[in-house]
Amino acid sequence: MVRDMTGDPFETIVAAHHAEIHRYLVRATSRPGDADDLSQETFVRAYKAYKALPPDANVRAWLFTIATNLSRNHFRAEGRRRQAMAMAAVGATEQGPSWPEGEAIANQASARIDRLVAALPFKQRVAFTMRKVHELDYDAIGQSLECSAESARAHVFQALRKIRQGLDDLDVVHTER
Amino acid sequence: MSRIPTCREVERDLVAVAAGEAGATAAQGVERHVAICRECRDELQRYRVLEGMVSDLRRAPMPEADPALARAELESKLADIRSRLVTYGIFPSPLGRILIARSELGVSMVRYVSSDASARARLAQLGGDEVMEDEAAVEPVYRELLDYLHARGTRLNWALDLRWATSDFQKRVLAATAELPYGAVASYGGIAKRVGAPESVRAVAQALRHNPLPIVIPCHRVIGGTGDLTGYAGTRIGLKEQLLSLEGVPVSSGARRIDRRHMYVWVAPYTEYCVPTCGSIPEMPLSELTLFGSRGHAEAVGLSPCSSCRPDLHPVSA
Repeated sequence: MVRDMTGDPFETIVAAHHAEIHRYLVRATSRPGDADDLSQETFVRAYKAYKALPPDANVRAWLFTIATNLSRNHFRAEGRRRQAMAMAAVGATEQGPSWPEGEAIANQASARIDRLVAALPFKQRVAFTMRKVHELDYDAIGQSLECSAESARAHVFQALRKIRQGLDDLDVVHTER
Repeated sequence: MSRIPTCREVERDLVAVAAGEAGATAAQGVERHVAICRECRDELQRYRVLEGMVSDLRRAPMPEADPALARAELESKLADIRSRLVTYGIFPSPLGRILIARSELGVSMVRYVSSDASARARLAQLGGDEVMEDEAAVEPVYRELLDYLHARGTRLNWALDLRWATSDFQKRVLAATAELPYGAVASYGGIAKRVGAPESVRAVAQALRHNPLPIVIPCHRVIGGTGDLTGYAGTRIGLKEQLLSLEGVPVSSGARRIDRRHMYVWVAPYTEYCVPTCGSIPEMPLSELTLFGSRGHAEAVGLSPCSSCRPDLHPVSA
């Protein structure tokens, strides 16, 4: 009579969200290896807590919050090392044009932006990633960062501004006029 | 018409317009500003290009970041947690609040609770196990327990998980106690004999005192050698009396003892049960006997009335 636990509904949550949370954490931590560990930790924590979630909770936004908290703590611990590495990575992009013109180099452009994202301060980096890559709304981002939706929007704005400047610094922009 | 916003005022809205997030007023302000400001017009264009590049991030592959391995490791970690996981709930019952905990293997704890908070704290201290409150997971077990406590059932056919038994000796004591039928009692000395340690009466009492699964493993059916109920779950001897009464075992409530002169008697390994005055039974120590409160419960476990004392014809007086 003891309930079988193999048909655990949590499996569905893992299947639906693990890949995305992992992808998010790669950017949030700037290191795929850390994303492996932190994505596991995110879901282990979620597993222990998900039954206490209200039925109408936004599971996806909640997972982003857990992942963000974990990466914030992780980032504090690893802060200096990561920052040094990110700076080096940005420095290494100084060859080649920064504003690509064709679809063919879109991936190259993405890689360049990713490096600029990696150099952003934590809140701007994760706010930018949640908004622009994962398309979460500002309320959810604010919840993850324990700030208002307005502040979340400001973090994304600052991130975009810095990325734009970063691209400028690498190569002067000449857009068609 | 209102004045045209300045470059500084329009900066944020510019980004919002490029992202398609601007409201009507902001969009209008930007439109009017860029109509007269070439620099900001260029700036808007750059942000639009940037938005396009950023949207590629959603689709761009991340070759270094393969989640498959992390996912596989996660699955095995979750399987490990599940195997150690204990879920519990705290429920009301006729015996007061009761905590029930269970794992994959079976029910691992039943506990009388005087304060929910301290019960939770105690449970959290149990090392090596993942403990999670989840009433829904324990609810079916609780329902059966309630039926039992309302005399709607006489058996709790649960798979048990003895992870919180502290020693092999305790496990043997618990196993022997679990054999005691509904409506029957034996003595601590009797259990000691059954586990092959007839001298260890105190150790048996200690083992039952720390029974992780009271009610299910019926330590309330174990009494002192003189028929006294002795102790139960700390100072809850009243519950022992309640449980025994539920099973039809007569307890003289003032003295909190069981009078063997009013009980049917079974002497293992015979297959018959007797009246308490049959043959040499009155001289035998309680540790040799199992006492039944009613013929029905004795017969329910397959015993038949003794052919010489004929308890079926001469029932004991209550």
